Amino acid sequence: MSATQPALRELDEAAFRERYGCDRFEATLLGNRFEYVLEHVCQRLLACAFSPLLRDFYDFAATITGPPELDYPTPAVSKTFMAFTGTMTESVRNTVEEYGPGRLGAGDVIIGNDPYRIGTHVNDLLFCRPLFHDGRLVAFITLKAHQLDIGGAVPGGFSATKTSVYENGLVLSPRALVRGGEPVRETWTLLVDNARFAPVLVRDMQTICDCLDLGERLLKASLDRYGTAALHGAMRYACDADAERMTRALARLPDGTWRGEALVDCDGLDDSEEYPVRCTLVKRGARIEIDLSGTARQARTSINGTFLDVKATVGVALKFLFDPNGRFTSGMYRPVDIVIPPGAICSALPPQGVVFAYGESTNALLLAMLQAMADAVGEGAVAGDTGSPNLHTARGVNPDGMPWIAVGVAGGEAGPWGATSAGDADSYSKFYQANSIDTAVEVSEADSPVVVLRREYVADSAGPGFNRGGAAVLKDSTFLAPAAHNLIVLRFKQPTGKGVRGGGDGATGGVWLWHPAAGERVARPPKGTDGYRTAIRVAGRLDEATGLPSVGGTYHWFGRDPEWATAPGAVWRYVTNGGGGWGDARTREPSRVLRDVRDGYATIEGARRDYGVVIVGDPEHDPEGLTIDEAGTRALRISAEVRENRVHPTG
Amino acid sequence: MIGVDVGGTFTDVVAIRDGRIAVTKVSSDPKRLQEAVIEGARRLGVAGSDVFNHASTQGLNALLTRRLPKIGFLTTAGHRDMLDAGRCWRPFDGQLDPRWRRPFGDAARPLVPRYLRRGVEERVLASGEVLQPLDLAQARAELELLKRCGVEGLAICLLHSYVNDAHERALAQLAREVLGPVAISVSSEVSPRAKEFSRAATTVVDAVMKLLYATYAAGLDAGLRAEGFTGELNFADCTAALLPWREALRAPYRILFAGPAAGTAACQRLSHALGEPRLICCDVGGTSTDVSLVIDGQSFTNDSFEIEHDFVVSALSTELASVGAGGGSLVAITPAGDIAVGPGSAGAWPGPACYGRGGQQPTVTDACLLMGILDSGGFAGGQLTLDVGAAQRAFASLDTPVPVERRAGQAYRIAVNNIAEEITNLAIRHGADPRDFSLVAYGAAGPMLLPSTLDLLGVRRVIVPPHPGLFSALGLLAGDLTYGESRSRYVLLRPGAEQEIAAVFDAMEQRLRAQIGDAAREATLRRSFDGRLMGQTWETPFVEMPDGPIDAAAVAAMIEVFHVEYARRNGRAFRELPVQAVSYRVQLVVPAPKFEFMPLPDAVGPPVPTGSRRLRQVGDREVEASLYDRAQLAAGQRIDGPAVIHEALCTTFVPPGTRALVGRHGEIAIELAAGGAR
Repeated sequence: MSATQPALRELDEAAFRERYGCDRFEATLLGNRFEYVLEHVCQRLLACAFSPLLRDFYDFAATITGPPELDYPTPAVSKTFMAFTGTMTESVRNTVEEYGPGRLGAGDVIIGNDPYRIGTHVNDLLFCRPLFHDGRLVAFITLKAHQLDIGGAVPGGFSATKTSVYENGLVLSPRALVRGGEPVRETWTLLVDNARFAPVLVRDMQTICDCLDLGERLLKASLDRYGTAALHGAMRYACDADAERMTRALARLPDGTWRGEALVDCDGLDDSEEYPVRCTLVKRGARIEIDLSGTARQARTSINGTFLDVKATVGVALKFLFDPNGRFTSGMYRPVDIVIPPGAICSALPPQGVVFAYGESTNALLLAMLQAMADAVGEGAVAGDTGSPNLHTARGVNPDGMPWIAVGVAGGEAGPWGATSAGDADSYSKFYQANSIDTAVEVSEADSPVVVLRREYVADSAGPGFNRGGAAVLKDSTFLAPAAHNLIVLRFKQPTGKGVRGGGDGATGGVWLWHPAAGERVARPPKGTDGYRTAIRVAGRLDEATGLPSVGGTYHWFGRDPEWATAPGAVWRYVTNGGGGWGDARTREPSRVLRDVRDGYATIEGARRDYGVVIVGDPEHDPEGLTIDEAGTRALRISAEVRENRVHPTG
Repeated sequence: MIGVDVGGTFTDVVAIRDGRIAVTKVSSDPKRLQEAVIEGARRLGVAGSDVFNHASTQGLNALLTRRLPKIGFLTTAGHRDMLDAGRCWRPFDGQLDPRWRRPFGDAARPLVPRYLRRGVEERVLASGEVLQPLDLAQARAELELLKRCGVEGLAICLLHSYVNDAHERALAQLAREVLGPVAISVSSEVSPRAKEFSRAATTVVDAVMKLLYATYAAGLDAGLRAEGFTGELNFADCTAALLPWREALRAPYRILFAGPAAGTAACQRLSHALGEPRLICCDVGGTSTDVSLVIDGQSFTNDSFEIEHDFVVSALSTELASVGAGGGSLVAITPAGDIAVGPGSAGAWPGPACYGRGGQQPTVTDACLLMGILDSGGFAGGQLTLDVGAAQRAFASLDTPVPVERRAGQAYRIAVNNIAEEITNLAIRHGADPRDFSLVAYGAAGPMLLPSTLDLLGVRRVIVPPHPGLFSALGLLAGDLTYGESRSRYVLLRPGAEQEIAAVFDAMEQRLRAQIGDAAREATLRRSFDGRLMGQTWETPFVEMPDGPIDAAAVAAMIEVFHVEYARRNGRAFRELPVQAVSYRVQLVVPAPKFEFMPLPDAVGPPVPTGSRRLRQVGDREVEASLYDRAQLAAGQRIDGPAVIHEALCTTFVPPGTRALVGRHGEIAIELAAGGAR
């Protein structure tokens, strides 16, 4: 949008119609309709998919995209899995352009999955349905959805140790899955021949095609009523409105240059190399440039991402800060330039820069951007989150010979978010770019030999602040059968829950393991902090003496045992990172600190050290009898500097 | 018979005597709700009535506003934060908003603060086996702490208690000993179903409801009897089925939210009376619109609902979709200058700008007034005069390029579109095509908005029933007495499974029959189960169970019915996959008396207008509409749009290009006139 154009709201009806080929009312209605069509497509997939990654992890996204002659405007992206958002326009464009728009026909479904072409990772298969009206290609409706398996060395694909694309999984160049409503047999068999769990894959792909049918039907109803010109006008209008929201927000921000950095601890080969993600943000006028120069080279194993994942993450960060309730469209990138050095951890290249656990480096980029912008955006600053999915995969074989697998049950998959101006943060969510519905503990335990013994928040782990971050989540799990475990934990070296506006950082976490003593059915980690001394130190930067996380402690690399084997009854403990605080902790009302002590989010010592608030009483036995020592608090807040050291998780 | 629907502002009372329907509206005092109910009963006469059926929003309001009694929560040690975590997920709308927080989380507004959520040392496995015995001494210490804190009620939910309830029972006994006569709800009694968070949330709601209703219900019963009432006091549940009040109090979470379901039940009666098997039921109130479906004369039942994002209550409930669009919905302007309607609402106070009580922002009601659909005098039965000037000022104040003379009409059309989309949402979920349906328009604002959806939805016609403003209360006289039980057990359906499933049903059915005694003889038995295809994580609920003994043939029938049902709902069957049954449900249904629609006399001539009014912004130019008084209409009369039909508590709009036909049951059916699509 050029600066000379009038703001959208200044357009009178005649000018609006001239620019968009429909009236403002039609554009508003159709814009709502796009969102609504996608919601239905997504709801249908959630309700009918077989893979838990689709049903429970929302690991998919849907979009509506305009035709090639409009350069594929994307007026609506489903808000299912944020990591997909900004990849979707290129996903459709690159797939269709390579396949050839002229070869498309009604009822076709075109697929592709190459991360270097369409972003995210090989398990994310793109399903693109062209829509024709009066014989003309007018739009696409698309689903990109994580398949349970796509071949490669590791079942399911989740691994930090794959070293080349040849281990990673089947790469599909753009091709037809369905032509004119008829399945293309050789494409289906190609997938069935290369992927594990083929029956699940086939059913999910059938279901996805049904969802595209539904989306097409719904969009066609609007096309029949309003016509192609109005549809395209509404697409352009939705993108222009998003561009305008972003442009205006940037224009309001003072000009500046800001830098941010966050760390991926290591890769799956060894811990000899760290992977910082660096960004420089240059904002001038109504434009912003995000330059990733200085970011670490691509990792040697499968924790890399691609340039499109960078694009998606930049979009999420800018939406977080400037337009949290607006639609996500391709228009938001108009005032944004992104500079990406090739061959970096978040812009990896084939065949060595193998892409899988892309969320680790993109979360680091998101946090780096939120940190960089924190002072510039003032009240709108957002503190850092848990930082990682900390994925734990356990598997074994039942006595009857049937294999079992527990993905994302025993690790640190959910954790805290960072605080904002709205208040304290939640302690139990997926990391910033993800979302999922938790499988109930009772269901996980019915489906595999896992027992989740504890899943509780850790006192004094949240980044203090006027608003505090969410607390770290501690999870103890055991398996009542012999089991093998894969871990992906890449964000324990530094706090990810970085505080903003003077708020403190959240504590760092770690992973520990206890084997059962002779005669014990299940190991019993000692209560309190003593237990950490005796534990096997699996991951994290841990204090030599106590075994507790410590910024200056010794780093323990999770990958030293590529597959941890345990006898029945061993107990795994994950403690996630804590969320960051917002604003100066010493300005937090003592009554809210008192409530945190009462509720076990802070200890009496933590209240004194982190907030400068003196609480008197016995929170464990008389939670309602706690009082604030007003004079002591005043004195402490004036005289004592609140120490910056974060306290450690305690048992 | 009498039906009473207690809302936050008004208590609606409907009485039927000798086939005649009498209605009244009493102001509710939130502090003395039962007095309004008894006042309403007194006005319409309660002596000689055989039933008094009751619905109320007081429990839901208490939960939504967090004006709650102090409740403690006991669970397996290490798991008390389940009430903060919920099921983890964030709504789609909150995905890009880092300020979004779980509404019931500790960082926002918890129902039970964390220090009153305590863990007890014990552990049962998914198989029911005890991994760690219950530590009674430690549990006693936790209970004593809760006692010191003065909890009024207690919710107990231990892991896997739906399989083995021994620890929960022992803990409940200990709690009664330590805490004395406080309200205690135990998850294995309240809702013995798998998935700990929904069971725990339901149990907490149950404990709250026990405290809110115990005194109220007994006082209401006594008060009614003092007025000469000798019949049965029943409470409606979330499907508008009726429960004798003492039975309802055994697990009162079931009666949390009955009013909207009663509206759907009234539509079912309408469906039978008119011989219209497929209805879209649409209740447009001040702040929201509830939409439900009737297909083949039946409504849809869900096994749970959410009172706010992810806060699940595992109660049988009529499936309703709700959209924040009603008469009081606020009209606002987006950053790009477009008109938007809702979800914000002017609420009961100050209400729309035209109420003249200080509301500055325009609402849908203001739009209707400016368009001429509403009359400035005689609103809400003459209780209120509407201020046209205030409505005009409110619309003039909007900062938008839309010309001022077109704003009300656009706001009206956007509100109507929002409602139409929600209606389509629900229809799609059920694979239903709106073109096969008629739309029932009720609630105070329904008849002035919904006739304008005719050409958007393509429904056959819009039906405005008699007493549209109190139609939900009428639905309280449409239900049967229903006694239900449910249980969970993961069982793979294959030969040999019949024994385990039969045992579950036998236990439930015996308990129900013992509970209702002689009435069991005239009761109808209904069984259903929730199942999943092997590998799925969510269930397909309410799959019909065969009647009769549960044997090998019955299990084979369960598998078959599951596949057929799965394909019907989702469009594709996967017959090669094994089916696992998860939850089982039994209902004993005892028929109860129901209302009938009163026939209208046949017309002797065409309807006589009471006047005419100019309508603005309805189409491209102003049009003249005829005005009618509904009380003077007779069966068989036809009114061509544009027209406006007034009655005491409602206004019906007959848009241009449509016509209204007055039916034998007092209903007004509006359909597109030939060539009337606009």
